Amino acid sequence: MRVHQLLSGAGPHDAITSEAVSFRARFHAWGWDGKDYAVHVAPGLNGHIRMLKRFKPKPEDILLIHHSAGAPRLRELLALPNRKLLLYHNVTPAHWFWEHAPNVAVQCAVGREQLPALVRSVEVAAADSAFNASELETLGATRTAVIPLLVDYGRLGPPAPAHPPPPTPPTVLFVGRLSPHKHQDAVIQAFAHYRRERAADARLILVGDPISSRYLEFLRNLADTLAPGAVTIESGLSDAELGDRYRAAHVFLCLSGHEGFCIPVLEAFSQDVPVIARPAGAIPETTGDAAVLVEDSDLAVVSELIHLVVTDADLRAELRRRGQERLKLYSPDRVADRLREAVQATAATPSRW
Amino acid sequence: MTEPEHAVEQARAAAATMRAQGAYRADRPTKPADADPLENLFEWAMIDPDLREVRSTRKLGAPVTMLKLGLVRLLNQYHAELISQQTRFNVHVLGHVRRLETRIEELERKVGAQEQTRPDE
Repeated sequence: MRVHQLLSGAGPHDAITSEAVSFRARFHAWGWDGKDYAVHVAPGLNGHIRMLKRFKPKPEDILLIHHSAGAPRLRELLALPNRKLLLYHNVTPAHWFWEHAPNVAVQCAVGREQLPALVRSVEVAAADSAFNASELETLGATRTAVIPLLVDYGRLGPPAPAHPPPPTPPTVLFVGRLSPHKHQDAVIQAFAHYRRERAADARLILVGDPISSRYLEFLRNLADTLAPGAVTIESGLSDAELGDRYRAAHVFLCLSGHEGFCIPVLEAFSQDVPVIARPAGAIPETTGDAAVLVEDSDLAVVSELIHLVVTDADLRAELRRRGQERLKLYSPDRVADRLREAVQATAATPSRW
Repeated sequence: MTEPEHAVEQARAAAATMRAQGAYRADRPTKPADADPLENLFEWAMIDPDLREVRSTRKLGAPVTMLKLGLVRLLNQYHAELISQQTRFNVHVLGHVRRLETRIEELERKVGAQEQTRPDE
C-alpha cells in the first residue's frame, strides 16, 4: 500500500509536522510506501517533507490529509480520484487572530470555509479528539474516527523524582504558541496575583513561538508591568531544554480559550507536573480526571489553586498518579493501532469517483 | 489531603477569605469595553504593515533580516502606491457600509413607526 501525507504547512516546532514524521516511521514499519508533502515547507525540513507542487500520485494511492489551516489549491486535490482520509486537527476560529496576526486569521478563516468541502470529498473523516470529530459530524460526516495525536513523550527525558519536589522558587509553566487564544495574558495576570499574595519569589516560564512580534511585545509589556523580572518567555527550545523546563516546574497552568487537543498537558503528565487548566474545547477530554479544571474567571481563585497545588504534597502526588494513568490512553502504540485501522478502512472503502 | 475534585471549591473559599482580609484588591483584571466593530474596521482599513514582521526566523538570521529590510526600503515607492490604492478601496467600502447601516436604521425606524400607528386588525 502507498499512503501519501499532505499538510498545509510544515515547520520544525510544529506538532502536526512531528506527527506526520512519526506516522511515516510507522508506515515504513508496516511496509507501506509513500511520501509527505506540504504547501509551505520551513527551511531545514527540505528532504523530509516535499513541496506539494511536486505531488503526482497514482490513482490507487491513499491520501492522508492533515487539516489545520487554509490550504491553497485544495479543490484541485479533492478532485483527484484517490481515496482520501481526512485527519482534522482543528482550525482555531479566526476571531482570535484578527487584531494581532491578520495573516493567521485569514488562513484560519479559509481553513474553516474549506472544511465542509473536505468532509464531502473524503472516504473516511477522522479527528484527533472527539471534540474535533463533533465538528466534522456537524458538517455531515457520518462515520468518524478519533486518532489522538501521536507524540513521543519520551523525547523529553525521564521525569524528575517525585521526592524531593523541584527546588524553590515555586515555578509556574505554560507551553504553547504565544497566541491570543492561548491566553498567556491571563496566565501572567493569575501568576502576578499568586506572586503578590502567596509567593514573592515565584517565577513564570512561558514557552512557545510567538504568533507575531507585536503579540510577543504585548505579552512582554504585560509581564514587565505586573510581575517585573519574574516572567521568562522562551521559544525555539530543543526537546532536552523543554524537558528541563517541565522538570523544574511545580505546576502547569493552561488558561486557553480554545484547544483542539493540547499536547502540552500530556507532556506535563509525562513529566509528573500537576496541571491546572480551563475546561475549554478538548481539554476535559484530554485530561480526564487527572487535572484540576477551573472555569472561574476570577483569577484570585486561579492564584489560590496554584498555591494549593504547590503546597499540598498529597494533592500533587494524587494528580501525578492520575496523570500517569491518563497517559496510558495516549501511548504511541495505541494511537498507531487506531491510525492503522483508519487507513485500512479508507483503503477498503470504494472510491467516491 | 485535598482531593482534586474539591480543589476548586477550596480555592474559592481561600480567595474569599483572603479578600476579606484585604488581599487581591489591586490589579483586579478588568475587561476592556468592547470596541465598536465598525471602528475596528476603520482602524484596520488603513494598511500599515508592521516592519517587525520582516525578519528571518533562522538561527543567525540577522544578515537575512537586514537584507529583507533593505529590499523593503528599495521598493518603498511601489509599496506606498500599493498601500494607498488598497487603503482607498477599504475606506470607500467602509464609508459605503456606514451609509447603508444608516439607511437601514432609518428604514427600520419608519417601519416601526408605521406598525405602531396601524389600527388593530
